[in-house]
Amino acid sequence: MSKSLALIGRALTYLALSLAAFVSIFPFFWMVLGTTNTSADIIRGKTTPGGALVDNIIKFLNSFDIARVLFNSFLIAGLGTVLTLLVASLAGYGFEVFRSRFREKIFGGMLLMLSIPFAALMIPLFMMMASFRIINTYQAVILPGIASIFVIFYFRQATKAFPSELRDAARIDGLKEWQIFFYVYMPVMRSTYAAATIIVFMANWNSYLWPLIVLQTNEMKTLTLVVATLTAGYTPDFGVIMVGAIAATLPTLIIFFLLQRRFVEGMLGAVK
Amino acid sequence: MSSVKLRDVRKSFGHVEVIKGVDLDIEDKEFVVFVGPSGCGKTTLLRMIAGLETITAGNLDIGGERMNEVDPSKRGIAMVFQSYALYPHMTVRENMGFALRFARVPKDEIARQVNEAARILALDPLLDRYPKQLSGGQRQRVAIGRAIVRDPEVFLFDEPLSNLDAELRVHMRIELARLHKELKTTIVYVTHDQVEAMTLADKIVVMRDGIIEQAGRPLDLYDDPANQFVAGFIGSPKMNFLAATIVEKAAGNVTLELANHGRARLTLPLTGGTVGEAVTLGVRAEHFGEAGAGGADISLDIDVAEHLGSTSYVYASAGGEALVVEREESRHENGRSHIVVSIDPERAYLFDSQGQRIR
Repeated sequence: MSKSLALIGRALTYLALSLAAFVSIFPFFWMVLGTTNTSADIIRGKTTPGGALVDNIIKFLNSFDIARVLFNSFLIAGLGTVLTLLVASLAGYGFEVFRSRFREKIFGGMLLMLSIPFAALMIPLFMMMASFRIINTYQAVILPGIASIFVIFYFRQATKAFPSELRDAARIDGLKEWQIFFYVYMPVMRSTYAAATIIVFMANWNSYLWPLIVLQTNEMKTLTLVVATLTAGYTPDFGVIMVGAIAATLPTLIIFFLLQRRFVEGMLGAVK
Repeated sequence: MSSVKLRDVRKSFGHVEVIKGVDLDIEDKEFVVFVGPSGCGKTTLLRMIAGLETITAGNLDIGGERMNEVDPSKRGIAMVFQSYALYPHMTVRENMGFALRFARVPKDEIARQVNEAARILALDPLLDRYPKQLSGGQRQRVAIGRAIVRDPEVFLFDEPLSNLDAELRVHMRIELARLHKELKTTIVYVTHDQVEAMTLADKIVVMRDGIIEQAGRPLDLYDDPANQFVAGFIGSPKMNFLAATIVEKAAGNVTLELANHGRARLTLPLTGGTVGEAVTLGVRAEHFGEAGAGGADISLDIDVAEHLGSTSYVYASAGGEALVVEREESRHENGRSHIVVSIDPERAYLFDSQGQRIR
């Protein structure tokens, strides 16, 4: 009796997992399949590979200056990630390591700011950028994101696992505070950095609304923006859109697989 | 010269004073051990000497120079931490040479000093490993090696053996004693293990609640404790304390009555004390005599007997007081439910109601 119950339980588990796997993987499958079919075939719901792949790629590459767009995307996402990690980890480290009467109050106030939706900040931020005269520049896209409260919070939590005795040992070894940060904290916390890299890079790479607002000329546009413009015409070419979607997804996937092991460690908060 | 002098040293965290005025002289090449229960301030005091905690008031001299505001790296000290605090992303060699690298010592000189320290600690085969590839004892040796490389005037050890298993702890204890002989430097060592303190120290400093209860040579503290706290802390097993009342006083002698032991009476020489005063009698486990050997005989119910081979400890009780008695022949007493032992007045300690020793 109990044996057959266990069997049913196992079967249900596998059924649920299969369903979840299907739901997560089907869009990717559909995306890859779409690149090989013409727009008309995709609309008809054709589920077999077609022969339009090369045609779609050529059309995609000719739709805009792909080199420039990729450069913009990589520069904004890359530089944005590096600066965000630097600022957020310095802040997270500082909040956790240094004692102050005001520490928790300031930190609480910052967390409260997380509840302000971006839509409410858009216009003031735009006016700020305009007053700095940096509309339509890389700085305008990158700067507002680098002091990310969420990432600061993440680093502060991770820093709780950083042994304070390492800092003491480094002080006795003659390191100044900034040297402790760069020579001890950063290498010890590399799993945390890896996890944060994935999160921040993905967010920057996929960022749509803010770049759409501050980047105004075609030569400044990012991949996410131009892929979005592909849907804009009267007759969107879904085959080309699928190629664009793959191009936009690939870098984040590559980064994820490169840092996957460290990502898991970082999420577990492991300091080894 | 690497003496350490503390003069009325204090430390407060906010309104809470944790070190309440410590005066201490640590001589050149002396091995000094701070002992005390958790929270007594011994680690805080060590960290103040290291420069990891600021000194709220008082004066700290190392090698004859005031060090209160000097950076930890410039105090001529090296510290070994309880958790070893090895840099996990560096090899043993890099860990040991790290301080020298930041002191801009030339590379070949760093290599020479690291190799020298590795030789002293037999770490040569491990130099290219990472800390996570080492056992606890090896990590401990690397942590000591890292301290040696800095060639400090004063070594500071913060409970360095507490993370090791019992066997390794004994081994490392002997290693440390050997190292002290070989390096001939001043060592300040914090532990809550009084066996470590007794075996390693030239001088033991017993602390409680942020003050020094007593400082002195291990056997002096054992033979001649200043108060009940030190008497109970130094020595293993702990000294037995028996409640007593002074019932008679005559010609430099007092007679005590042990209320929990059938009103047994014991006369011992004491000039102070008043009749009716409640006192505490202290007797070490090894100082109980055979019944009828003179002094006061007391009868105890045996709870447990631990037979260690050469000696046995009998855990017994009477009148609500738990006592430990050391017996050499008690392996023959298996099955007995109680024993009678005598208290030798010559070897008994006496403490007043404040815990101060009066005899």
